[in-house]
Amino acid sequence: MSFENWIFALHLLMAASLVGGLVMSWIILVAQRSADTAEATLGLHRVALVATSVVAVALPGVIALGIWLAILRPELRPWHGWAIAAIVLWAIAAAALLRSTVEYAKPVKKARALIASGDTGPNSELIALHRTATGLMFRAIASVAVVLIVIDMIYKPGA
Amino acid sequence: MFAAIRPAGQDFPLLLHLVGATVVFGGLLASIASLALARGEARLLRLGYYSLLFVALPGMALMWGAGEWLYHKQGWNKLPSDLKNVDWLTIGFIVGDYGGLFFIAALIVGGVGIRRLKNGTSDGGLLKVTMVMALVLAIGYIVAVWAMTGKPTGSSSAPAVAASNTATSTAVTVDATEFRFTLSKTQVPHGTVVFTLVNQGKISHDFSINGETSALVAAGKSTTLTISLAAGKYLYVCTVPGHANAGMQGTLTAT
Repeated sequence: MSFENWIFALHLLMAASLVGGLVMSWIILVAQRSADTAEATLGLHRVALVATSVVAVALPGVIALGIWLAILRPELRPWHGWAIAAIVLWAIAAAALLRSTVEYAKPVKKARALIASGDTGPNSELIALHRTATGLMFRAIASVAVVLIVIDMIYKPGA
Repeated sequence: MFAAIRPAGQDFPLLLHLVGATVVFGGLLASIASLALARGEARLLRLGYYSLLFVALPGMALMWGAGEWLYHKQGWNKLPSDLKNVDWLTIGFIVGDYGGLFFIAALIVGGVGIRRLKNGTSDGGLLKVTMVMALVLAIGYIVAVWAMTGKPTGSSSAPAVAASNTATSTAVTVDATEFRFTLSKTQVPHGTVVFTLVNQGKISHDFSINGETSALVAAGKSTTLTISLAAGKYLYVCTVPGHANAGMQGTLTAT
C-alpha cells in the first residue's frame, strides 16, 4: 500500500468512526429519554463517554487527513467547490456537536448533585433535562451536516 | 474523500453501502460499550443487546444488500474468477459473509442471555460473551474498512518471475486513462512479458492479467509488472472497482 493509500484508508476509518460515534450517541440519546434516576443517568453517561471520545478523535482526524489527501492527490484540491462545502459542513457539525454536548452535560451534573444529596429516586427535573429540545436540535443539526458531508464526498458536485 | 471520478450509476449503491456499514459500526460500538460498562445494571445490558438487534442488524442488511448491488454494478460478476481473486475484495467478503454468520450467533447468544436476565436466572454472563463477539466483529469491520479503502494487493503485486529472466523478455507499454487501456502490443511471444503501466489519467489505476496485479498507480506515475505467459489468450483489467466494467479491460494474445 502506498503512503497516499494509507492516508486515504485512515481518512475513511476516521469518517466511519465519526458516523459510527454519532449513531451510538443517538442510541444513548433515545435511551436517556426514559432515564429518571440519578443512577440510570450516570450509567448511560459512562456509555456516552465512549461515543464522545470516538467523535472527539474522529472529528479533527477526518478533516486533517482529508485536507492532507487533497494536497497529495493531483486530481483533488481543497479549494474545489465540493471540498469547500465539506469544510463548511464540518465546521457546522463541530459547532453543533459542541453545543449539544454542553446541553447533555446538564443532566449528568444534576444526577451527581442528586447522588450527593442522597436522592436516588425518580426525579422529574432530571427527565426534563434529558428531554432538552435544544440539545436534540443541535445533535440533529450535527447529524444532518455529517450525512450531507458523506453525500458530498460521494457525489462530488462540480468535480 | 472517495475516488474523485467514478463510473456512472455507482454513487447511490455506494452511499447505501457506506450508510449501512457505519450504522453497523455505531450499533456495535454502542453494544460493546453498554455491555462492557453495565456493571450488572439490567438497563445497560438490555441497551447493549437491543443496539445489536435493532440498530446493527438492519445496518448489516443494508450494507450487505447494497454491497451486492455495487458488486454487480461494478461488473465483478462478469470477470473470470482468477481476476476476482483480489485481496481487498476477499477480505470484504470474509468479513461480510462469515462476519454475518458470527453476528447471528452473537444475537442468538445475547437473546438467550436477555431471556435469562428477564427470568432472573442469570447475572448477564452470556451477554458478556455477546460483548466479546461484538468486539471481534467490530475489529473485523475496521480491517474491512482498511482493506476496502487501502486496497492492498499483497503478493499478487510482486513480480511472478525472477529478474534474471527478464533479459529475454518482451516489453509492453500500457497507457491507462479514464476508462481505457492502450497497449503498445496486443500480441506477444509466450514467455516473460514486462508490462510498464503508465497512468496518463486523472485517478489511480492498476493492471491485472493472469492472476497478477500491478501496484496501484497514481495519476502521472508508472510501475512495471513482470509475468510469464504460456501461449494463449489473456483477459486484462483494472481492478479498481467499476473501472473494468467501464471499459478498462481487453485481451492479450501470447503466441
